[in-house]
Amino acid sequence: AMAGAARRLLRRGLGVAAGPPSTRQLREAEEAAPVFQYAGKAAKRKDRVFVWGFSYSGALGVPSFVKPDEGWKKPRRIQPTPYRLETEEKISSAACGYGFTLLASNTRDITKVWGMGLNKDSQLGFQRSRRDQTKGYEYVLEPSPIPLPLEKPQQTRVLQVSCGRAHSLVLTDSEGVFTMGNNSYGQCGRKVVEDEIYSGSHLIHQLKEFDSRVVQVVCGQDHSLFRTKKGTVYACGWGADGQTGLGHYNITSVPTKLHGDIAGVNIIQVSSYGDCCLAVSDEGDVFGWGNSEYLQLASVTETTQVNVPRHLPFKIGKVKEAACGGTGNIVLTEEGNVFVWGYGILGKGPNLIETAVPEMIPPSLFGWSDFSPDTRVAHVRCGLSQFAALTNRGELFVWGKNLRGCLGTGRMEDQYFPWRVTVPGEVVDVACGVDHMVSMVRSFT
Amino acid sequence: MAAAELAGVFAVYKPAGVAWGRVREAVETRLLRELNAAPGRAPRQQVRFLPASAPGGGGAVGLVAARLPVLADHPLVRGPRFKKLKIGAGHRLDVKASGVFVLGIGHGNKLLTDRYNCHLTRVYTVGGLFGKATDDFSETGNLVEKTTFDHITREKLERILAVIQGTNQKALLMYSNIDMKTQEAYELAVKGLIRPMGKSPPIITAVRCLQFALPEFQLEIHCLHETQQYLRKMVHEIGLELKSSAVCTQVRRIRDGVFTVDDALPRTQWNLQSIQEAIQSCQLKVETELEKTLGHGENSLLHQLGEGWRHS
Repeated sequence: AMAGAARRLLRRGLGVAAGPPSTRQLREAEEAAPVFQYAGKAAKRKDRVFVWGFSYSGALGVPSFVKPDEGWKKPRRIQPTPYRLETEEKISSAACGYGFTLLASNTRDITKVWGMGLNKDSQLGFQRSRRDQTKGYEYVLEPSPIPLPLEKPQQTRVLQVSCGRAHSLVLTDSEGVFTMGNNSYGQCGRKVVEDEIYSGSHLIHQLKEFDSRVVQVVCGQDHSLFRTKKGTVYACGWGADGQTGLGHYNITSVPTKLHGDIAGVNIIQVSSYGDCCLAVSDEGDVFGWGNSEYLQLASVTETTQVNVPRHLPFKIGKVKEAACGGTGNIVLTEEGNVFVWGYGILGKGPNLIETAVPEMIPPSLFGWSDFSPDTRVAHVRCGLSQFAALTNRGELFVWGKNLRGCLGTGRMEDQYFPWRVTVPGEVVDVACGVDHMVSMVRSFT
Repeated sequence: MAAAELAGVFAVYKPAGVAWGRVREAVETRLLRELNAAPGRAPRQQVRFLPASAPGGGGAVGLVAARLPVLADHPLVRGPRFKKLKIGAGHRLDVKASGVFVLGIGHGNKLLTDRYNCHLTRVYTVGGLFGKATDDFSETGNLVEKTTFDHITREKLERILAVIQGTNQKALLMYSNIDMKTQEAYELAVKGLIRPMGKSPPIITAVRCLQFALPEFQLEIHCLHETQQYLRKMVHEIGLELKSSAVCTQVRRIRDGVFTVDDALPRTQWNLQSIQEAIQSCQLKVETELEKTLGHGENSLLHQLGEGWRHS
């Protein structure tokens, strides 16, 4: 029963009856709705850097963790989960030292390397303090550019960086290797100066005399290893555990070629972080030298300090990559299997504490299953007492001692078998340190 | 009689657009109709002495013995023999979803509780459509936004699915309440047997892309403790991750424990005969499954996970 006027309006087509929208009206409203575009067809994936671990030394590069912006906020001592670090350029190589970090980019710009963290031995170069122009910062809280004395700064590219206990190495493509930091054992490749003061030092040494171009630099705790294109290995630094592999237990201050079992062998990868070193040849053999107190080299010798490279006759298949930690070692074979040996939390539960012979970690712990049989480990990395494995799906698995939250799992307990770290992106590379880690990640879309 | 013998667990295919309660009632009505249609006991006979006129002279009424059925046993007096059947439902399906729906009859309802305590995974086929987002994540909801989707490739979708699987893998280990520092936890993790045996939020154990043809795609999802609305929300979130939007067009359960789509009875077979055959054929499968998970033997999962779970 409508009022006469309303009914007349409807009949003339001037009024519209209200009611729930009909299907046709809904469909038309849907077709008329605007379409939003959030990503175009050529949208590129973004490269990001995530950091986690102990932050008080400034090694994570986030100043608000150490000195908060507001007075009432408390400093954050540990970052237990991955935290995004804003960088100006795409970071292609990162390295974690003992309380400091180096980030390097592949760019041709003048600023190629940034450093943050501990700088008491000028391992990050000279960072001029703003309060006193003559002194340098002892703790660098933000990624700060490191001024390298390059001849052609707008043409040379930095390929790789590496950090040890108190020294760092920067590898360039055409100007050799730059070393900085503590040199009390000759680890920077220059003559040891008695009573040298390393804090606030401007000295960055350049090393060019190798038999061919250097393609990889590795820092141990107080020694340095250089691998050249021809497959030879050079070493300098402290040798009391035989980690220089030169046949003696003395200090070496000039990079010297290694012989022993690797003489004439084409080495494709070298690795070290503590006092033990591993090298992988192109045929898949593993060679080791250095400290063997934790059974790292016990498969070939009973001595605890091995100062000449020895071949480790493991029957595990062709080895693709090796990584050395403080007390444990890890290798990755061509088939994608991961083997661990040494001492500590090795990744096979709390019962396996030490072994001299490599033990395989089952691939099902890295995400392999009947549903995804193609999942395999692509890279392995080692910190001082942690291990990290990257799969071909871009997932990061960590295990080992959770020193000051360096595993990034969000908990403070040790992890006895591989555990996935939740990172919002595909992890491309990870660098492990003593108590912090840095990862290079690409976003999903 | 037949109702007491009818006991066990069987699966029915629930069509979309029907509430699960109606399906259960429809099966119950059909079974009751067939059970009541079967001829029952013959009515009791009684001997009645009926008056009948004597063949001799009038007035004298004699009694004739006659065998008559007792009126109290007449079907119109007694009513139908079976008025209700105890039919219980397993994991429920909401109105818009379809697929395998497990029902239990009589003593089989006890097996339903045991199946719930097994915490096994269920498999769904979920269909999605890129390009729009609605408020209840399905195609019939109110439109929220329309977006472009031509930048989506199968590779990007599979990357997102891999991440979903990885985070849910972690959730599986976390909610299973096992101490990560023990050797047993390591061994169970290697075998892939760690599972939450108590209450937990929905966890997805495996996802796979079956079909991909823009704007439509279809996923196969294995999950635990889920609801169908959670799966629709997951499709919506996949759309958001890919910088577009998606709605869920179809949720179909293809497996619930040991019952697959092949074991589920379609509507034409919701009768007594087929249900009895279905119960018979699935009985062995269900018992082995329960024994393997909840049994008292050495190999059962419950025994391996520890005594604490028996009471959860």
